[in-house]
Amino acid sequence: MSVTSGGSQLELKEAGRASRRGQLRTLRLRWIDNSRHFPQMLIGPVLVFFVIWNIVPLFWMLGMSFYNYSLITGSPPRFIGFDNYADLFDNISVWLALSKTFVFVLGAVGIETVLGILLGFLFWDSTTMPGRRLALTLLFAPMILTPAATGTFFRLIYEPTFGVANHLVRHLLGAEINFLGDKAWAMISVLLVDVWMWTPFMILISLAALGSVPQAELEAAEVDGLPWHKRVTHVILPHAKFIVMLGILLRTIDSFKVMDLILQLTRGGPGNTTEVVGLMLFRKAFEGFTMGWSSALAVIALLIAIAFTSIYLFILNLSREEKGVA
Amino acid sequence: MRRQGRRAIYHLILWMVAILFFLPILWIVLAAFKTKDDLLAVPVKWAFHPTLENFASLIRRHDFFSSLENSFLISASAVVVAIAVSFLAAYCFSRFRPSSTNFIMFLLLSIRMVPASASVVPIFLMYTALGWKDTYWGVMLFYAMFSIPFSVWILKGFIDGISPRYDETGLVNGGSRLHVMFRVVLPQVRPGLIAAFIFNLIFVWNEFLFNFIIGGKNTTMIPVSLVTGSLAQGGVDWEFVASLASVYLLPPVVAIYFFQKYLLVGMTFGTVRGEV
Repeated sequence: MSVTSGGSQLELKEAGRASRRGQLRTLRLRWIDNSRHFPQMLIGPVLVFFVIWNIVPLFWMLGMSFYNYSLITGSPPRFIGFDNYADLFDNISVWLALSKTFVFVLGAVGIETVLGILLGFLFWDSTTMPGRRLALTLLFAPMILTPAATGTFFRLIYEPTFGVANHLVRHLLGAEINFLGDKAWAMISVLLVDVWMWTPFMILISLAALGSVPQAELEAAEVDGLPWHKRVTHVILPHAKFIVMLGILLRTIDSFKVMDLILQLTRGGPGNTTEVVGLMLFRKAFEGFTMGWSSALAVIALLIAIAFTSIYLFILNLSREEKGVA
Repeated sequence: MRRQGRRAIYHLILWMVAILFFLPILWIVLAAFKTKDDLLAVPVKWAFHPTLENFASLIRRHDFFSSLENSFLISASAVVVAIAVSFLAAYCFSRFRPSSTNFIMFLLLSIRMVPASASVVPIFLMYTALGWKDTYWGVMLFYAMFSIPFSVWILKGFIDGISPRYDETGLVNGGSRLHVMFRVVLPQVRPGLIAAFIFNLIFVWNEFLFNFIIGGKNTTMIPVSLVTGSLAQGGVDWEFVASLASVYLLPPVVAIYFFQKYLLVGMTFGTVRGEV
């Protein structure tokens, strides 16, 4: 008797819980699942993040770029219209920084692309390689470490007295090179580090691009005895070009952004031989504390980045149309 | 026989290329096991007696465990928040295709393409004005935002790859929309979730500039202590830098060993799919 009553009480509790759960479910269905605004609810959280961390700062920056505002003087921001932009345009050091950025982007992306594609071809046939996973981990390790850290590694390696780079140079050439302190060498040394970091990325891209070439077409070319340069232009390139282009564009965008690597290696020096736009922005904003002027420069950098992004998406859409996938 | 020999030489060359790229990293790891005298020796010492002394003194430093903890805590929580939010949005973009889809996807991608030193200026102004600097929530939520564009892109790509018929079947059979989302679609995009999770973790783990500017002593993560350590006035404490760098690089390297098949999708915003 007592057992059954206990049982029924338990059942009652269960039923109560179930009905409460049912009510919750009905509420949820009414207010979330079957709501007319279900799609809006789904993007809502992302939009909140987007507005707080992007739209607000963006307008803050746009507004600030019309002010003369320095954190050092402590005087309140003063509206000066387009003066910051005019100053940017007249300022020789801005153009110098832009041209250095251009040299850096061109040099880095160029070398990385050529080396990456060559090594990509080398690694193409590596599927049966013993310990492939470990070897690829070692190969791809440079690109997943932060430039702030790899810059540190290379400060040790480039160190003029006890660094290993100079040790080798002394033995091989009998001369000494102050890699990061010499005006003629600083940019080359920085470029070398970037090439070391990002060539693996272009290898990865080339491997993906080569992987997208259908096996049947390669075999047909083999059977037809097509010479290798025709194989590249007629068989491989039509399939591989989009992925390679996306890779090159990503690298262009990334190397345009370069900042922490150079901050860590040379701080823009010696003189300002390695002061690219990203680094200039950082130093003007957080060492010079000229917030208005830096905001104006940041707006320009933003516009350049948006232009790059549009090109990237344009190519991405082209490749999708060609392959017929959404 | 000759064929096999040529194969062996080919594989040996590949291994040598891989090791060549790893050498600079190996050098800093080796430096972590050297005594100060060996590390600063002129000419460079190739043979040395390994010592764990540098790691022992690293552990004794007061700021080591706090930056390690910050790094783990902030990157993990930011990425979890980002992926939860991004999955909802990615599902919406993929299935309901609101008219603003293309525009928002473009904006999200541009956020990640903007030079960090440009976007750090307004974020700095905003954080100082609102007093969010050096607060756990301020830094964590910033990193969540930092991870959202990539996560939305990658997850939308994966959800697009799942036929909407699954959704229709689920709805016709009486499943609610949330049921379809979480019980039907979610399990099928697991590779996308893993890729988004791992790579966002690596990106936040690696992030330096924002942590340097909007962080402070309560929210310092490893890359910032690495840089401030290596920029110390006077002589740089190379034993500290080398041993901290060795600790720092372990998780990302281990991660790409185990998740190598997501490397491509992870490094290209999910726009290029496939394995290498």
